[in-house]
Amino acid sequence: MGEFKVHRVRFFNYVPSGIRCVAYNNQSNRLAVSRTDGTVEIYNLSANYFQEKFFPGHESRATEALCWANGQRLFSAGLNGEIIEYDLQALNIKYAMDAFGGPIWSMAASPNGSQLLVGCEDGSVKLFQITPDKIQFERNFDRQKSRILSLSWHPAGTHIAAGSIDYISVFDVKSGSAIHKMLVDRQYMGVSKRKCIIWGVAFLSDGTVISVDSAGKVQFWDSATGTLVKNHLIANADVQSIAISDQEDSFVVGTAEGTVFHFQLVSVTSNSSEKQWVRTKPFQHHTHDVRAVAHSPIALISGGTDTHLVIRPLMEKVEVKNYDAALRKITFPHRRLVSCAKKKQLLLFQFAHHLELWRLGSTVATGKNGDTLPLSKNADHLLHLKTKGPENIICSCISPCGSWIAYSTASRFFLYRLNYEHDNINLQRVSKMPAFLRSALQILFSEDSTKLFVASNQGSLHVIRLLEGSFKHLHTFQPQSGTVESMCLLAVSPDGNWLAASGTSAGVHVYNVKQLKLHCTVPAYNFPVTALAIAPNTNNLVIAHSDQQVFEYSIPDKQYTQWSRTIQKQGFHHLWLQRDTPITHISFHPKRPVHILLHDAYMFCIIDKSLPLPNDKTLLYNPLPPTNESDIIRRRTAHAFKISKKYKPLLFMDLLDERTLVAVERPLDDIIAQLPPPIKKKKFGT
Amino acid sequence: MVQLRPRASRAPVSASAMVDEGQPASEEEAEHGLLLGQPSSGAAAEPLEEDEEGDDELDDEAPEELTFASAQAEAKEEERRVRETVRRDKTLLKEKRKRREELFIEQKKRKLLPDTILEKLTTASQTSVKKSPAKLKEVNLQKKNEECEKGSDSKKAKEKVQKVQTVGQNKSYLAVRLKDQDLRDSRQEAAKAFIQNCLYGPGTNRTTVNKFLSLDSKRLPVKKAAAQFLNNAWGSQKKQNAKRFRRRWMVRKMKTSKK
Repeated sequence: MGEFKVHRVRFFNYVPSGIRCVAYNNQSNRLAVSRTDGTVEIYNLSANYFQEKFFPGHESRATEALCWANGQRLFSAGLNGEIIEYDLQALNIKYAMDAFGGPIWSMAASPNGSQLLVGCEDGSVKLFQITPDKIQFERNFDRQKSRILSLSWHPAGTHIAAGSIDYISVFDVKSGSAIHKMLVDRQYMGVSKRKCIIWGVAFLSDGTVISVDSAGKVQFWDSATGTLVKNHLIANADVQSIAISDQEDSFVVGTAEGTVFHFQLVSVTSNSSEKQWVRTKPFQHHTHDVRAVAHSPIALISGGTDTHLVIRPLMEKVEVKNYDAALRKITFPHRRLVSCAKKKQLLLFQFAHHLELWRLGSTVATGKNGDTLPLSKNADHLLHLKTKGPENIICSCISPCGSWIAYSTASRFFLYRLNYEHDNINLQRVSKMPAFLRSALQILFSEDSTKLFVASNQGSLHVIRLLEGSFKHLHTFQPQSGTVESMCLLAVSPDGNWLAASGTSAGVHVYNVKQLKLHCTVPAYNFPVTALAIAPNTNNLVIAHSDQQVFEYSIPDKQYTQWSRTIQKQGFHHLWLQRDTPITHISFHPKRPVHILLHDAYMFCIIDKSLPLPNDKTLLYNPLPPTNESDIIRRRTAHAFKISKKYKPLLFMDLLDERTLVAVERPLDDIIAQLPPPIKKKKFGT
Repeated sequence: MVQLRPRASRAPVSASAMVDEGQPASEEEAEHGLLLGQPSSGAAAEPLEEDEEGDDELDDEAPEELTFASAQAEAKEEERRVRETVRRDKTLLKEKRKRREELFIEQKKRKLLPDTILEKLTTASQTSVKKSPAKLKEVNLQKKNEECEKGSDSKKAKEKVQKVQTVGQNKSYLAVRLKDQDLRDSRQEAAKAFIQNCLYGPGTNRTTVNKFLSLDSKRLPVKKAAAQFLNNAWGSQKKQNAKRFRRRWMVRKMKTSKK
């Protein structure tokens, strides 16, 4: 492992948007998460919590409700009054349908998955029938006086509970009329507070309705008589979300103070049949409001304004105490937001609605290993490129020579030509993009910046030749017939001959760019691909999967390399396999072909293929050997994985030239400083 | 109306004006009228104000003697004058309204696209309705298109707001009736304001980010600096003034340099 000069970049001012809703799908073990900017993300909980799909946000589409229905279909509804269904294969919006009831606050799918219920601003509850390719309005329930903020179905599908402001209504589904109206006490610790907002309701099969409200109460109601059965005051602030397990023996609530409480149905005395709801465990993993919770069979899932998605496995539900039982906290997207023009030392940062182009600073000072060098020239903010329209940016890329920028939103593709004249920069949009280039999931420039590769959401791959200020469409690789899966990751070989593309589940396809045909397909693996790269000279394709496996596949030979076979035979180190953030970027050293550089959010690693592999007894995270240590001892402790955890959270790391690295960090404190204000809490001794 | 009483005693003259006015549309409006001593019809404004001033002067002097007959005559004259001004104002207002109406109609005509293009548009949207529905927002679009058609067929000139962004046969345009969009936007804004008020409004016991971050650093053995040093809200008025001054100064400089 050599020594590097590292550009430590901390000016990427990225703030993830807060989580608004989470919805867990038991069938496929997937989690849908919607954020306040309208983005919807799909996490695969069985593939090491990898964020495998995402739908870009939209300014006017503030999502307020999210639910799975009819197996694998995902619906969302929001304040623009539309119900949206997502196409999980093609990764776009199937259709948007106006519910004609004003902004929608809540949505619930019926237990058998054939009906959808929405609660609107004007106090109406609307029932929709889910047909195979659409939804159809069926009827309105009795209109209430104020907005319907929460909805829940009885597991038998005969009744529903609707939470509004100051009261909960129970409806009979058959007749559509309200049979009970349960008034909620506004009093809060003896003081009459403002209106009491019912943030969430849950209907149990024995007829109990559980409500959570803005006065900090969790209340149990008997829906048959419309009376209050039990009251838990759990917070000084709003209780904002509730989720119940399928067995109805435990539920979870989230409060504005950031605490998540677990309630369980336990026997009153040992070996008695009488059971009681008891507040068992509080968890404080959030600093801000917990706007959404979900309950999977083995874990509590929560998300909120502080942008973390927290997955807390329940110890009593976990059989084997392995690393799956550990807490997961997902903060950053599992895709790349930074691209780098190596030759010009430029970084392109992608935000929701704009791009920023920065030139790295430089230094003339020299120092010892570990020194911080003073900058002689500060980093330059060259360009701030705002998108037109309300759509979020899906992906962006800067060419290696730094003279092209491409980005895409859900409906448009933009290509810009940059001209540098001394300190001035001249931006010119390439107009008249062809009709097939409407939206891209991934964009990549070839190493010599003469070709542009675009993965569109119909599954096709476009190859475009770039000329001075114009372009020419060369070829389109159509997806294999019968598959509609779109490609999410691209990699091109440095000599420009090979293009590798991978979707979310099927294997990696390798195309020959010169002959414009499919060369081979790497066998599919159970876990989704998180990063791809092709090594220079040898044309070995390195693939990282979400379970931290790394494969090396020789493209010319169409087989796995010897090193890859060896490491698969021996297995990776157990600590390596327990890492919980996916590898998001792979690169290579131009002069040392045996090195593979890769990183995830909390570490940077150089794999030296010439060194022996570590077994489970050796130390994986070796500290840097002190310089005075003798060479022999160093050689004895050395193994192939050189890991540095100095830079974290790490969003991007790449090699600029042989001796220079650039690392883009995003400290969590900087993110917190830009979030909305949290609830005030008194801490002793402050 | 409860609020009105104390104010009425402060300005006693306007009591009669309030009766004339009848039911004020809202409390604010009534208040406004009272403070200025000016009923919303705007007719008896000047004489009333004069009266007020006269009263003030009279306070200093001894009261003047007046016969009943002369006072009655004066009052009648006053009443007549007021009535006349009201009538005159009404006619003036009517005239003004008429003129504005005419202007509007003329403007609408000028704004409206030529008939040929409109016809082309309606036929185009009809064909698009017949076509099998595409993916995105088609339902929405259709509905709006139909509404547009109805509007344009029945009352072309009277149509309140109808704007067509681009014209053409291809799908590069989107026909939207702005009236509906405005309604929807305003409802969305109201909903957003509601949620904002619920979560961060008064009485929600929120702290600031700076105080929140300082809680941790207070308990740490190593004290750190605050996350945000500057309060941007400080001296905002002064900053604004300075900005305005600078702009004026630059304009002045430019003018002088041109000379």
